[in-house]
Amino acid sequence: MHDNVIDQSKDITILELLDRVLNKGVILTGDIVISVADIDLVYLGVKLMLSSVETMEQIRSGKPIIKPILGK
Amino acid sequence: MEMMIYALASVKKNPEKLNMLLSRMKGISGAGIYAVNFNEISAVVSDINRADLIADRSNALEYAEVIETLAQQFTLLPMRFGSLMESTEAIIKMLERNYNEIQHNLQKVESKWEFGLKIFCDPEKLKAELMAKSEADIKTSAKPTPETRNSVYRDYVNNKLKEHRLEELILTYVDSVIAELTGHLARLNAVNKFKKMATASTIIDAVFLLDKDKKGELIQAVEALQKHYAGLNFVLTGPWPPYNFVEITIK
Repeated sequence: MHDNVIDQSKDITILELLDRVLNKGVILTGDIVISVADIDLVYLGVKLMLSSVETMEQIRSGKPIIKPILGK
Repeated sequence: MEMMIYALASVKKNPEKLNMLLSRMKGISGAGIYAVNFNEISAVVSDINRADLIADRSNALEYAEVIETLAQQFTLLPMRFGSLMESTEAIIKMLERNYNEIQHNLQKVESKWEFGLKIFCDPEKLKAELMAKSEADIKTSAKPTPETRNSVYRDYVNNKLKEHRLEELILTYVDSVIAELTGHLARLNAVNKFKKMATASTIIDAVFLLDKDKKGELIQAVEALQKHYAGLNFVLTGPWPPYNFVEITIK
């Protein structure tokens, strides 16, 4: 179970990272490049997110052991 | 060939320190990284063909790594992925035009890290627990009036009342968690942003900006909350460069 927690936490951390890089930060008007690869990225992101939530729900059926996860 | 900007860094009077660091780093697709300077601000850039700039997972991770490495040593404002300018001259003009606003934002995030906190629940379990706690109230509110006792609308109305009551209970519960969390954060002088009920499972999606030396206290506070709310799952991420606290658009 502990390995699952670590795996899903990594997934969430990667999603958090991608969300920040692609959706946050200083905006430079008029020169942001949006490429077609966004479609694949969004798809992977949603899939990962659903997987993470499902894993969490499995974990939740036992003793809650999610703890702060720091770093990449 | 264009130039992609990764971040705007405060170099103050020591641009050489940044140049030394950049000389050891690589950007997207292994490109060399260098600084374009204006007074005490440097734009960290690499040359790139617009056609090669694909927002895929690999490039996004490489981009984030550059920003994170820089953030270990410099106060910076991360740029959103895909910020391109056509020349060094154009970047210098951009820095000059927006100098005061950039400096103001750099000061706000100086010596601070961003952290993210997501709090997850099992929606059905949480609803059941909250309903059980307020069962007496619900029974009272659901008592049929003489006018509706035999009405075909009775069940519909009662269900709607129940749903409404449940939404209120969940929001009250989420507010109570946020209140406790903000109490801890206030003691850490953290700047915070909350999003409630981002999804049915994600009851709180929050980001904080706090002094780098308060990291340990934040972890302790979140651990204490996790113990208090044993039915919820807390996931704290960070430290991050201040992606969520640079609310500026530059021209």
